[in-house]
Parts: sequence; structure tokens; C-alpha cells
Amino acid sequence: MSVVYALATPAVKSAICIFRVSGEGCHDYISEIFGLDSPQPRRFLLCDLKNNETFIDRVGLILFKGPESYTGEDSFEVYAHGSLGVMSLIVDLFDSKGFDQASPGEFTKRAFINDKINLNEAESLSDFIESASSREVFLSGASLFGDLSKKLSDFSERINSLRVRVEAEIDFSDEGQDFMDGSLSNDLSLLIEDFGSFVSLCINKREYSNNKNIVLVGPTNSGKSSIFNRLLGYERAIVTDAHGTTRDMISSEVFFQSNKFSIFDSAGIRETEDVIEKKGIETSIKKISDADLVLGVFEKKDASLVSSFKKMCDKGSFFIIQNKIDINSSDTSFFDCCVSAKTGEGFNSLKNLVVSFFERNKKNNKNSQYLIRDRHVKLFNQVTKDLDIALKGLNDSKSLELVAEDLKNARSGLDEILGKKFSDSLLGDIFSSFCIGK
Amino acid sequence: MDKFDVIVVGGGHAGAEAAFAVSRSGLSCALITMDQTKIGQMSCNPAIGGLGKSHIVREIDAMGGLMGRATDLSGIQYRTLNTRKGDAVQALRVQCDRDLYKKAVQKILKETNIKIIQDEVVDFLLTNKKAQGVITKSKTYKSKKIILTTGTFLNGKMYTGNIIKTGGRIGDESSIPLSKRLYSLNLPMGRLKTGTPARIKLSSINLLDMEEQPGEKPTPWMSLASPPKKHQKQLSCYITRTNKKTHEIINKNIHLSAMYSGEIKGIGPRYCPSIEDKVRKFQDKNSHQIFIEPEGINKDLVYPNGISTSLPKKAQQEFIFSIKGLERSIITEYGYAVEYDFVDPRTLKQNLETKYLENLYLAGQINGTTGYEEAAAQGLMAGINASNSIKKLKDFVLERSEAYIGVLINDLTSHGITEPYRMFTSRAEHRLLLSQNNAEQRLILKANEIGIVKKERVDKYLSNEKEYKKFYTNNLVKLKKDFFIDKNGAKIRLQEKRSISSLLSRNDVDEKKLFKPNKKDTKLYQRAITEIKYSGYIKKQIREINKTKKQNNKQIPTNIKYEEIHGLSNEVKEKLIKTQPQTIGAASQIEGVTPAAINLILIHLKKKELVSQNA
Repeated sequence: MSVVYALATPAVKSAICIFRVSGEGCHDYISEIFGLDSPQPRRFLLCDLKNNETFIDRVGLILFKGPESYTGEDSFEVYAHGSLGVMSLIVDLFDSKGFDQASPGEFTKRAFINDKINLNEAESLSDFIESASSREVFLSGASLFGDLSKKLSDFSERINSLRVRVEAEIDFSDEGQDFMDGSLSNDLSLLIEDFGSFVSLCINKREYSNNKNIVLVGPTNSGKSSIFNRLLGYERAIVTDAHGTTRDMISSEVFFQSNKFSIFDSAGIRETEDVIEKKGIETSIKKISDADLVLGVFEKKDASLVSSFKKMCDKGSFFIIQNKIDINSSDTSFFDCCVSAKTGEGFNSLKNLVVSFFERNKKNNKNSQYLIRDRHVKLFNQVTKDLDIALKGLNDSKSLELVAEDLKNARSGLDEILGKKFSDSLLGDIFSSFCIGK
Repeated sequence: MDKFDVIVVGGGHAGAEAAFAVSRSGLSCALITMDQTKIGQMSCNPAIGGLGKSHIVREIDAMGGLMGRATDLSGIQYRTLNTRKGDAVQALRVQCDRDLYKKAVQKILKETNIKIIQDEVVDFLLTNKKAQGVITKSKTYKSKKIILTTGTFLNGKMYTGNIIKTGGRIGDESSIPLSKRLYSLNLPMGRLKTGTPARIKLSSINLLDMEEQPGEKPTPWMSLASPPKKHQKQLSCYITRTNKKTHEIINKNIHLSAMYSGEIKGIGPRYCPSIEDKVRKFQDKNSHQIFIEPEGINKDLVYPNGISTSLPKKAQQEFIFSIKGLERSIITEYGYAVEYDFVDPRTLKQNLETKYLENLYLAGQINGTTGYEEAAAQGLMAGINASNSIKKLKDFVLERSEAYIGVLINDLTSHGITEPYRMFTSRAEHRLLLSQNNAEQRLILKANEIGIVKKERVDKYLSNEKEYKKFYTNNLVKLKKDFFIDKNGAKIRLQEKRSISSLLSRNDVDEKKLFKPNKKDTKLYQRAITEIKYSGYIKKQIREINKTKKQNNKQIPTNIKYEEIHGLSNEVKEKLIKTQPQTIGAASQIEGVTPAAINLILIHLKKKELVSQNA
């Protein structure tokens, strides 16, 4: 069976991540990916994972020789560092080798087919495949929303109708008709333009989530790190009473109300001679200007101090937060939100403030209408490329059957996103559009 | 009692090719036909080839079949279509002399051990629910296999206006008893129709009013084997068009057309509509092309391709007279529509044996196809498979990525048909792999494994391939240049020397100026250009093919009970039950059958295997 891979650990930042790869011939790739020649199976090997000489990560590798493996086929497992970046580079690498992403239950199915698991297990596997596929349908329906999927279907149809004209010109060239009508190249460039502006309305889900960057700023020792820790729910930044304890940018991802945010704790800003601290402050200033939301943390009302921080963020918005209301009295008229990192008081309203800010902001963001995933980005790029090649081919009077092939590829890219398997109605479309036949 | 390995019933293009294949396999064969003078008869237009079809002829030819040879013995005009497009979609079309074609087929069959019997088959000889021979009006013949290639004889009806005759072709009777026997097998059937135009005397046509279309020079050959000494005398075709007046006459009489009066229920081919359909469905078109095809050398008859009709005689005459150049036509035979039953080809296995009666194979128009080439291809495959089965060899099945014949049989047996099935290049998803010019590279060795190609032919092929490789290495790999001339005639300098083959992969290079082969190497150079230009696309296609090949080839036993598979939707179950795909690959091609459904079937099959092992 074909080579498939899957990330066996959750796709979140973690210490390590594990990829499983299985299928006939997958060991043929060991030397080009890991630089190892005929390594021993069933041993933990340390090696460098590379994509065409480009180093990705130092990883652990275990080879299993079929039938002595979970699936019964040749397979291997990769233990890499658990950063999202490494994960996506490994996914790209496997895709480029022609490996397929495993469908739900794939490894277990293979194990069954290769006599590795028994009938009872297989029974439950059938149920799993069934439920997984209906879940998949449901999910893809939900995540693609009606609108995006309609848009894609429209483009798919438009590509098809161009291909119909090309195919008619190929299969019925002795009919004495001009099927392409001279305007095919115009129609195609129009399609490319429309598709381009559609793609610009799409925003990658990952980028979108990563865009929710929140930076904590404020004078030193105002309690930024305590707020940071409180938001995260555990002690991460070093908190002491001494000024300038946070010398580096510390960041983490948090979830409130099923939204993901990246929160950065900046070094307190003050004049300093300490080189390391100075560097931390420079990083802070840079981060502040990139942030989507800046939370200024202060102990007391000090308008000039607040405005000096506000000046640093040229983009995004600025909320002023009063901390330490357990020792100072809160001032709700001046501050947007008043909390105590020590007692936890006011944190619910702080979270609500943050969430509703991003909610509001999303609605205002008119440019992005569609949320898409990494997989879609990749396919969109491929579709654009195929369409461009087709257009260039038409204009350079490349052989028409190759133009037809480009259009076919472009369309199958879109159909893959839609998860549809179209019956090839091409001939039907030709006959209904043209009077064919001697 | 006379005994044969294989009996072929019918002497059309499927029957002739089937019998010839059996004989090449070294087995004994009888061809039973109602009229032996009609063996190899072209019953529609007198042409072989065209898009998707010349591809099939070359494939048949590469496997030692007769169609290409018969074409070259009778060809009176050769034209390559799509010369301005790439190699994969170029197609040779050959006008043939109708009589010479038939004679050529008969001559080729005469040189074999095939016994030709003129008789009417009325029944099968059945023992233990297996076909064991045939019963004719006068005798009983025993055989191990029977190949039925009886064309449109099943319940055939011909319509001209309101006049209805039974029969499958003008002048030929239907075989009623045999049809009755076939109906009693309860095979799923459907009804189709097709039509023909009137035939007109050449001497009554004014060719000066028409556009002449001469043949191609130098005249090519259809067969890739050693050709005859020289071509037949070459003739031109002519083109004229219908006009407003023609359409008025047709519109005025349309209620009299058998097709529009509700008489005909069968489904006609959309790519070959009657002139009534064209005028009706495309009202905005003022004119349709008519292709005047000569019927033969020294023959006072033409076939006006493009005006097939079932209008009454008077109306036919009237509209033909309105066409430029045809004003004084003498019509020798009027057009008619034929309606006939076909057997749903999904009841066939991929080797073309019916699932309903062991040892019985069906090939040709009876399976719902149209066209000489499609029929011949099925005849060839049924002949090979019947022989293989007798010799206890594996089924001879061609992949979709391997041959148009593979596409044809796979389409028929897994999807069935909704209209008479004709080949088009767009039906082949791996079209770029399947050129009419590389049929030998694709098929000759495979056919040679089962011994149906002559040794000289294979040797010649092998030496040609060797010559090509030598040419390629010596000239295209070893020869290097540090510049080239682009398509606009500009000289482009390169930083370092590059081989001709790598320069050919550039889109902007002028191939003719890049390398000038010797005259004898011109074809080899052309082949190399094509292979290099396609290589990127082909690599991609081959990657896709290999990905699923192994799983796709997994057989599904005929006794599989889809209703037992837990988790399949009812819709999918119904489709699978109706189609009875033979392999996982065929199942996955059925609309609505998702990858998850395929997984469930695989698990079910495995489960059954385990259960039977443990039993």
C-alpha cells in the first residue's frame, strides 16, 4: 500500500512530537531524509532530518521492518522537537516525497489487513471509520462554511467550462467549428484575476490565530509578570520584588473562551546600564509595535507615564490596567480594568475585555472573509500556479492537450479542498454546449 | 459432432477480430455468420480512425490484430487530425473503399485456420448451466467458449418516417430465435438507437460547388507493421453545408420524423445527432457541415456524413435538394434510424465473459458501443481472453493508463452506458501516455508474452527501439551546445554547454533550429521532442498511477454481499450491487463511493478471508 504518515502527538507546542510513517517502500527514503545507510531496525537512532540538504531538526528515529511493525508493513517513527515550525516543515517534507496523510483509522486498518490485529478489533475499527468519516463530513461542512465552499465550486465550474472548450477543440477538431472562440485566453486571465482576488480575501487560520498577540508593558515592578502568570494559571515568569527581573521576552499561548492568544511579558522599561536587561528592553519595544493589543500595567494613576507607554505602540490598541488593587484603591474612571494579580480579583473582566476586543476587531476586518487552513493555502498556490501555466501555454501556443492537463490539474486542486469526487461530466458538458457530430 | 475451441457468432468487426485472435493463440476456431460475403462489412460511414479511434486501431495493430492492415489495403484517403496540437491527440483518419475493406478482412481470415460457416445460430448448447456450443438451423457445434458479436440484431427495428421494418442493417434479417434465447437468460438490457443518412450517386453531385479536402502528402499508413507495396488510388473528400432553407424544410416536416413522432424510445448518441436534432436543439446555428465521403474507387456513390435522418423519403429528398452541390442528387438508399437492444455491459467481467452464463463472451455493439474500432477492440480482447481461459492463463486486462482499449472496457464494465459509447481522447485521464504513435511501446511485448504477435514484428520493434536509444544517446545526450535559437529567431547564449535533450525541455527553444537530424532520423527526433515535452506531466501521472495501483488491483469476489457491510450507506450499497465491480479500483471509480467506503469494503473482504481460513 502507498506510504502514509501521521502526526501521532497533538499538534500543539510540546517537548517532543512523534510522526509515524508506514507503507511499502518507505524505507527507501531513509537515506535521503536522515542520511543513514541501511540502519538497524528496532533501535533508537539519533540523526539529522534534512530536506534537500536543509537541516530541519536533530531527531530520534526507529525503524520497523514489516511484518514486525504495528501495521505489518515497513514503517518508521520520528521523534522530533515539538515546535509547530518543526512539525510543519516535516509535513512539507513528507508531502514533497509523495507520502499521503493517513486517513482516520488508516494505521489500524493496515494492521488488520496485514493480520496484525484480530477480528474483534477490526469490528470496532469499522465503526470508527464510519463515525470518523461522518464526523469529517460534518466538520468540513462546518469549517468550510456554506459560502466558501460555494465560491470554490463556482471557480471549479468556471475552470471546467474553459476546459470543455479546449477538449472540444481537441476531440472534435474535424467539425469545422471554432470551439475556443478566440476569447479563451481572455476568459482565462479574467478567471485568474478573480481567483487571485478571492485568495486575497482568505486568511490562514494559523496566521489568524497567531495574530492575536497581546503584550504586557508597564513600568518596572508594576506586576506585569504576576498578571502574565495569573493569566496563564501557573508560575512561569520569575517574580521577585526587585526591579528588572524580567530580562527577556517571555511568551505563552493561552485559551480564553475557546480563543487562542499569544501573550508576551515584556521587560519593564527604564533607563538601564545592564547590557542583558537593555537587550530585553529593545525586544520589548519591537514587540510592542507589532502587537495587536497592548496591556499597560500600572499601579497608580499617572497620566504622563501612561501616555509615554501609549506612544510606543503605533499599531493595535492600548488598554490601561491597574494592578495591585489589593493594596491600592481601584480607580475605574481612569483605568480600563482594575485587577489584583495577587488575589485574582478582576481577572474575569480582564479576560472579557480582551476577548471582546478581538471579537470587535474581527468584525471590523473587512478584508478577510474566509478562514482557511494550511492545507488550503498549499492547494490554492498550486491552483494558481496551474492556471498561470495554462494561460502562459495558451499565449505561447503550447500544445493544447497540455493546456487541458493544466486546467484539469487546477480543477482537481479545488475539488480536493471541497472533498468532492466529481463524476467526469466533461463530455456531457461538451455536447450540451456545442452542436457536435457529422 | 464438429468441435472447436472457440466459436465466434457474427462476422462484423468484433467477430473478425475475435476469431483472428483465437487463431493467433493457436486454438481452433469457427466463425458462424448468416452471410459470409458480408464478413468485415462497413455498415456505417466508410472511414476508420479519427480522434480516440485511430489510437484503438494502432493498439489492436500492436497486438497483431487485423484492422490496421485491412485499412491499409483499402485506404483511399489519409488525413492526420490535430496536426497543430501535440502528439498524444493527433489521430489518423482513413477513408476506405467499402468493398476493398471487406475483401481485405476476408482475405486475412482466409489465410488462417478459422473455419467459416454460413448458417444461423438459433440456440446455445447448455450443459450444467454452462455454454458448451451452439445449435444452428442445421447442426450442433461443440466448443469450449462462445463469443457473441451480433451487433444490432437484438430486436432491431428500422425507421424511415412512419415505415418500420425489423432488422439490424438494410438488407439483413434479425436473428429472432437466438434473441429469444438471450432474453430468456434475463440479462439486464437497454434500448439504443442510431441513424444513417441517405446514400447519393457521386455522378449526380456538383463537386465544383463544394470545398475539396484532399488527403495528406506523403500518405501515411495506419498499421505500424510492414505496409503493403503501395497505397490504393487516393481520392478527395468534399465539404458542403446545410442552409436556412434546409432547416426550414426539416422544421416543417419534423413531426413526420420517426424520432419526433414518439415511435423511437431508444437513446441516440449525442455526438452523432440526426439532422433533425441538430436543427431543433441548436436553433441559433444557420448551417451545419456535411462531409461528403467517397464510397470507393470507381464507385458511383457517396456517403453524406452529417445528415443522418429518419424523415420520410419525400422530406429527405426535399432537404437534400436544398443543399449546395446536392441539388440534383440521385438518392440510391434513404436514411433511416435503427433501434435495437443492448446488453448492459456491467453484467460482463473485465475479460468480457458474462456473469450470467459461463463460457459466453459478448463483444461489440451488443454491449452498447458504436464504431468499428470499439467493436474490433472488444472482439480482440474477448478472443484473447477466451483463448487464455482455455489455456488456463490469466485474464488479459489492460489498464486505463496503458491503452484506450483499457479505458473502453473499464468504462463499459464498471460504469455501463447511457448512450451508444464512442471513444474520445478526453475519456482517458492518462491521455498523455496514450499516443497513437507509441501503441507498440505500450503493448507489443505484453501481447508477445501470450504469443499473438508475429516474431518478425517483435524483432523489428526491438531493433527500432535500440536504434532510437542509440540516436538519443549519441545525438541528444552527448551533443552539447552553448546557445540556441528561440522561437522568435533570437540567439540565446548560455553560461555553460548543455545537452540537446536538456535544451529541448525549454518552452522557448526552436526545435527545428536546435538540431537537424538526418532524413532517416526525423521520426526519431520527433519522438524524442514529444517525450521530453511531456516528461514533466507524465512523471506526475505515473506517480498518481503507482500510488493506488496495488490496492486497485485487488479482486472483489463475485459472491460479495454488500448488504452485509456495516457502515456503507444504502445508496453506496445499491450502486455497488448494481455495478458489481470486479476490483477495488473499479469500485473506487463509482460515483459516490468514498475512500472511507473503500476502507470498509477492504476490511469486510479481509474479515471474510479470515473466517474462511479458520473454518
